[in-house]
Amino acid sequence: MKLTFHLNGRMIELEAGPTAFLVDVLRSTGLTGTKEGCGMGVCGACTVLVDDRPVSSCLYLAPCVDGADVWTVEGLAERFPQVVDAFVAEEGMQCGICTPGQVAAVCALTLEKPAAAEPEIREYLNGNLCRCTGYQTIVAAAKAALDA
Amino acid sequence: MAPRIDAVAKARGATRYAADTMLPGMCHAVLVRSPVKHAWIGGFDLTAARAVPGVIGVFTANDMPEITFGRRVKDIPILARGKVRFIGERVAAVVAETRAQAEEAALRVDVQYEELPPVLDATAALEPGAQAVHDSPWEYPGAVVTKADPVNTQSHVTSGDAAEANELLARSAHMVDKTYATPSGHQGYLEPQACVASVQDGTIQVWASDKSPYRVRDELAACLKLDPSDIVVHPVAIGGDFGGKGLIGETPLCVQLARLTGRPVKLAVRYSEDLSATSPRHSMALRVRAGCDRDGRLQVLRVDAVADGGAYAGFKPRVNVDLSGLGDAGSPYRIPAVHTDVRIAYTNSVPRGHMRAPAAPQTTFAVESALDELALKVGIAPVELRRRNLLRGGEPNIHGITWAQCRGQETLDAALGAASGQCPAPAGWLTGRGVGVYDRHTTRAARTSLRLAAEDDGGIRAEVAVPETGTGSHTVARRILAEGLGVPEDTVRVVHVPTDELPYDRGAGGSRVSVGLGAVAAAAVKAWADRGEQNAVTVEIDDDLGADVTSYCVQIADVAVDPATGEIRVLRIVSAVDVADILNPAAHSMQLDGGTAMGYGFACLEDLQIEDGQVWSGTLGEFKLPSTRDVPPLDTVLVTGGSGIAPLNIKAAGELTNVPTAAAIANAVAAATNVRVRSLPIRAETVWAALQHERTTTGGRV
Repeated sequence: MKLTFHLNGRMIELEAGPTAFLVDVLRSTGLTGTKEGCGMGVCGACTVLVDDRPVSSCLYLAPCVDGADVWTVEGLAERFPQVVDAFVAEEGMQCGICTPGQVAAVCALTLEKPAAAEPEIREYLNGNLCRCTGYQTIVAAAKAALDA
Repeated sequence: MAPRIDAVAKARGATRYAADTMLPGMCHAVLVRSPVKHAWIGGFDLTAARAVPGVIGVFTANDMPEITFGRRVKDIPILARGKVRFIGERVAAVVAETRAQAEEAALRVDVQYEELPPVLDATAALEPGAQAVHDSPWEYPGAVVTKADPVNTQSHVTSGDAAEANELLARSAHMVDKTYATPSGHQGYLEPQACVASVQDGTIQVWASDKSPYRVRDELAACLKLDPSDIVVHPVAIGGDFGGKGLIGETPLCVQLARLTGRPVKLAVRYSEDLSATSPRHSMALRVRAGCDRDGRLQVLRVDAVADGGAYAGFKPRVNVDLSGLGDAGSPYRIPAVHTDVRIAYTNSVPRGHMRAPAAPQTTFAVESALDELALKVGIAPVELRRRNLLRGGEPNIHGITWAQCRGQETLDAALGAASGQCPAPAGWLTGRGVGVYDRHTTRAARTSLRLAAEDDGGIRAEVAVPETGTGSHTVARRILAEGLGVPEDTVRVVHVPTDELPYDRGAGGSRVSVGLGAVAAAAVKAWADRGEQNAVTVEIDDDLGADVTSYCVQIADVAVDPATGEIRVLRIVSAVDVADILNPAAHSMQLDGGTAMGYGFACLEDLQIEDGQVWSGTLGEFKLPSTRDVPPLDTVLVTGGSGIAPLNIKAAGELTNVPTAAAIANAVAAATNVRVRSLPIRAETVWAALQHERTTTGGRV
């Protein structure tokens, strides 16, 4: 079926099967920044924003974005440069596979809870797993992004 | 200090991992995996699968070279040949235009199985008359067993003298004899295993989520009877490793599929396949016997362990096919006699492999728990027992090594200092504190290479052979090269290059990358100074200088336990770590924090639940990795001023803090509740049941 939606601020039209997942459709456009981790909505690596709300694109059916406003890490990096800057300055990553999802989640946090304190930040990022860092630098990056 | 060189690309989603490789004409492979534990393959019906639109081919062992591969024991088939040995084993591969078409067709591959009795328990597997997982395992290249061993033996390694240990145990004023159990667990990297292969002009091009590209190349050459120069493994970022990204794994299959179809092929597994069919940690039972004199001075330690190695031994790289952590039991202490006896068994379950400090977390949990139980018998505090027994400078350790510097006491004191003060706990909960001690040597064996080349803009291009697994190694390379060359960091451009552009690298792992980079950078800086008219130099190092540097890591956990439900809350973990100079403070600190978080997961959350030969925690919904909500407050104190490995004066950091955490938490739970949990993970249910038992049988204080 034909889908028309905004992707990173630009109108896009593409074909997708009725059971296609959003992560696969996004990656097929060459936007490989969005990663498939667990494939079942637990790890958060595939997080993107749909109408400015964070969703797990590995579970989100592509037809549901018809007419919506979708942002992946590639577009979010332009739209929220302060979030990228915060992750770079705080070194909020190691292997980087979870980072696009962490960045997307922090972008959503800046929209949803711009005054969040640390406990709220930790709660908000609970759905974005990281096996490398122990989270200290990711939480620091989120704080820095909110303060920017 | 300049930020990590990979930070901007990673934060923008621009970093390329194996699964991000897109080639013109690329098709997709999906595996058909065994649904049974142990069976003869009676036959295949591939007709329905081949009829699915988009399918290019369906392949079985008949299409593969008749060879087995592995890191030491070469016992792993590319696709199961004749027999399947675990649920999840590769039996066929479908290649189609899209991944969805390949997944659809894989469901239609019909395999007839003639089931055999499965071997499910590691201890029973080693008894006489057990059903054999492999008919003649001693015939595999690299095998360390003989026909005389029990048929399901992967390896049997001992140290010390059993008779001496038994005699000292009998003579000890106090003795404990307890058995501890640890489950299997997955490394938990969030990037599923992936490979892309393509044949171009006779050369095989490979992009793989593997931390040892040169080993991938050499193993592929051996598997497919090619010359290593016919294979190029390209650089990609590795999305987490922790011991699980050095398998070779599906790579020979992916390459063979590209050769068979004449098309570039991507084989990216789903995470559930990764959890149930790659190389999780060995599940273990460890019987620990420890004896001491009247004052708590250790006289003897004996550890007898049985580890479940699963269906194949091929993921273990060591010459003895053992796990180094078990042989190091008791290494932080002065113990006159240590005897270890470790058997690893073949069973019909997922093959086991290495995970961050192989077997050290299991061993340290068991031994450090036993030492607390011994302290109770002596009537001294657990910390005091450690203090009386920690190795001191100048004393040889259990292996007869005298470290250049030995700072166990200082590290213990630093941990105690940092853990002063109470942690607030919920009202009515029981609270306790536990300690765990570990020491690990820094490996001096390094084999890698590096090329420096002048660039037109006056900068220097530094080509490295070691992949970036996330530890910050490429950033470290830039820093030490800039310092050595006496140039600003931003004029050195570190580039990871394909395998045909540098001589060799052993791969990331074993906490040895920084030491290797230090040695190769020193050689490169010297060659650069002597380069004369040349505008590029290539250097290669291959050192094995033994080990004389160790690092202590002491952790103190404070916990609260709800007596009504058994719920455990870890209030804080203090880690004191014995360090020398630190090349990259931010990355070093993440290695330590990330390690402690992993140790916490091992202690309280992670269990692959391999029961009846099957992995039951088949998704990240069931196999629980620590999240932001789970990880307790972490305090780290560095014991600075240490003497490390030249020329950079460094000590390894990657495999320290994940090791003693489970022991510290188990000991804290015991201190809080008076009940001892001897199996991991420590769950509320286990603690609650133990509390009930304690209440009904002893009238204990809880």
